[in-house]
Amino acid sequence: MAAVLADRWDLSTRIRESGVSLFEVQPGRPVELTGPVGFGLTRLGYRMLAEPSQGAPVVVLDVRGWASPLAAHEAGVDLDRLVVVRCPDPSLWPRVVASVLEGVKAIYAEVPVGVNDHDLRRLAALARARQARLVLRPVRGMLPAGIGHLRLKAKEIRWEGAVQGHGRLESRRLVLEATGKGAQGITRLIEVEDDGADRVRVVSGLAAGPAGRAVG
Amino acid sequence: MSPGMPRREAEGTCPEAVVLMRDPGEEARRFDPVVSMLESVVPRVEIAEPGLVLIPIDGAIRFYGTETAVVDALRGTLAPHRVDARIGVADGPFAAYWAARSAGHSGRMIVDDTTRFLRALDISAIDHEDLVSTFRWLGVTTLGELARLPRDAIASRFGEAGVVAHRLASGQDRPVTPRSISPDLAVESRFEEPLESIDHVAFAARALAARMTAGLREVGIAPHRIEVQVETESGDTRSRVWRSADPFTEDALADRVWWQLRAWIEQGDDRPVSGIVRLRLDPSDLSGEGRQLGFFTNETARVEAERALARAQALVGPDAVVQAGVQGGRLPREQVMWRRWGEEAAMVRDPSAPWPGATPSPAPALVPDDPPRLDVEWDEGMPARIRLGTRWEPVITWAGPWRLSRLWWRGDLPADRYQLVTSAGAFLCLVIDGDCRLEGVYD
Repeated sequence: MAAVLADRWDLSTRIRESGVSLFEVQPGRPVELTGPVGFGLTRLGYRMLAEPSQGAPVVVLDVRGWASPLAAHEAGVDLDRLVVVRCPDPSLWPRVVASVLEGVKAIYAEVPVGVNDHDLRRLAALARARQARLVLRPVRGMLPAGIGHLRLKAKEIRWEGAVQGHGRLESRRLVLEATGKGAQGITRLIEVEDDGADRVRVVSGLAAGPAGRAVG
Repeated sequence: MSPGMPRREAEGTCPEAVVLMRDPGEEARRFDPVVSMLESVVPRVEIAEPGLVLIPIDGAIRFYGTETAVVDALRGTLAPHRVDARIGVADGPFAAYWAARSAGHSGRMIVDDTTRFLRALDISAIDHEDLVSTFRWLGVTTLGELARLPRDAIASRFGEAGVVAHRLASGQDRPVTPRSISPDLAVESRFEEPLESIDHVAFAARALAARMTAGLREVGIAPHRIEVQVETESGDTRSRVWRSADPFTEDALADRVWWQLRAWIEQGDDRPVSGIVRLRLDPSDLSGEGRQLGFFTNETARVEAERALARAQALVGPDAVVQAGVQGGRLPREQVMWRRWGEEAAMVRDPSAPWPGATPSPAPALVPDDPPRLDVEWDEGMPARIRLGTRWEPVITWAGPWRLSRLWWRGDLPADRYQLVTSAGAFLCLVIDGDCRLEGVYD
């Protein structure tokens, strides 16, 4: 059952070309995923938990209460080791994340609006001290500078497969802007082609995205 | 309808039937008064599971005179409450269980010759599917035929499971009276501030269970039997014995304490009138299991994670720390079965069934439990714009509609599913009678 779903949407390959490991979050080096809802970042976050979930429990900290384990399962997360912690309260959120960081080595945490910068910095420091894999996804806006070792900002998403009532959503193309120490200090554009085999292509060395199509 | 009837057949017989998930806690709560009645006849009983109680009756026979008198007393205490029980008496729990299973209309079976009784039982009585099919393939169809085989040969071919089956077939069951144990394996917590909330007690029980299993793990043993003792501030004490075929894990132990407390608190007449001041877990029937770690499992990481999650659970409450399993269904939210972290997984709908018309993968990464309304503008039956917050986004393209007939015989209206693609992302929506709901976001 589980295998059938995973076979149909197996996200398994990783970025090799550039030496940047997008899906292998490094212990103690938090990753920030920034961008509007609908740009594919949640699935990317789930994918980052896939490898750690093969040996130990992983946690999704769900602020909206909308996290879908089915998508996590498709992304390769072992559901037997996935625990979803729901915490919409921004005043409680830092304590909950800190508690989880004490023992869980891989966390994808949505960040609610209203968490202060000081708490976020302490949590990043705790993740470094605990050598935990921490992926932070603010539900609105961006995190303050210096939190994420690697900052991935969604720039564009395109879906393919559905054509005016025919077909179905099959593949997506996600353009991310990578910054921070994890991107060796330069701005990179990463293009993720997710078509079931999850081919991922990195366009490095570009400081800006391609010119948009003009509409007149 | 009758017990054991396949679900599909039951639904065919009675279309109004509602299928509910099994709730062990509720079963334990409802079964607890029955245990109390039995305890009024024989003071110490073992609850194998809700619905099955093992009672050592050697002492009771000396008091009542005969086995028949003990059975009469047990049935007599249950009869006024219309408890439909079957009682079996034999040497050992396994034989007694099968005697109860074999009891006819009289509801009782007293076995004089346990060995002969066991030998006549079908091989399926050992309740080990793989072993049973192999034995059948080898032509061994009864426990008697299994008992006649040399145990050495069984051990070399089938390992520990085979030896256990051979012992049971030979009538060499464990005694009901538990073995004595080292007192330092029992763990206890006392609370200066009485615990008033059942959730607080459940958290304390989980911590206590963690302490006990950690202690047992150090010596490489695991318990099959646990006595849970709870004491209130007013001095009222309640203890129950729980038994499990598999050694108790930390989660399983915490569940038993939870069930017991829930049963005590929710029963009308004898509920505790003050907070809990003491919790004690007393293990016995210890096995050597629990030492062997899975090859691909990081046991240390698991234990640390469980402690961390227990702390998080104390902060956000038990309902906010959850796990999920995949089950069958046609909508993404139907395909997920949520459960509290630590509770046993249950599945309502078989995911390996065909489920024609299921929403195709990939699944939306965000799925609301209660789908919110989604404003969609239609142009000649085709989606043109959707409202996201305060702005309207043009629909670039879409897939669907895919018709979902649902339970039409119950009056459910048909629904249409659409995948709508905008420059802000893709969405799965469900349209029922012109009303559009957001079923998921492909984030």
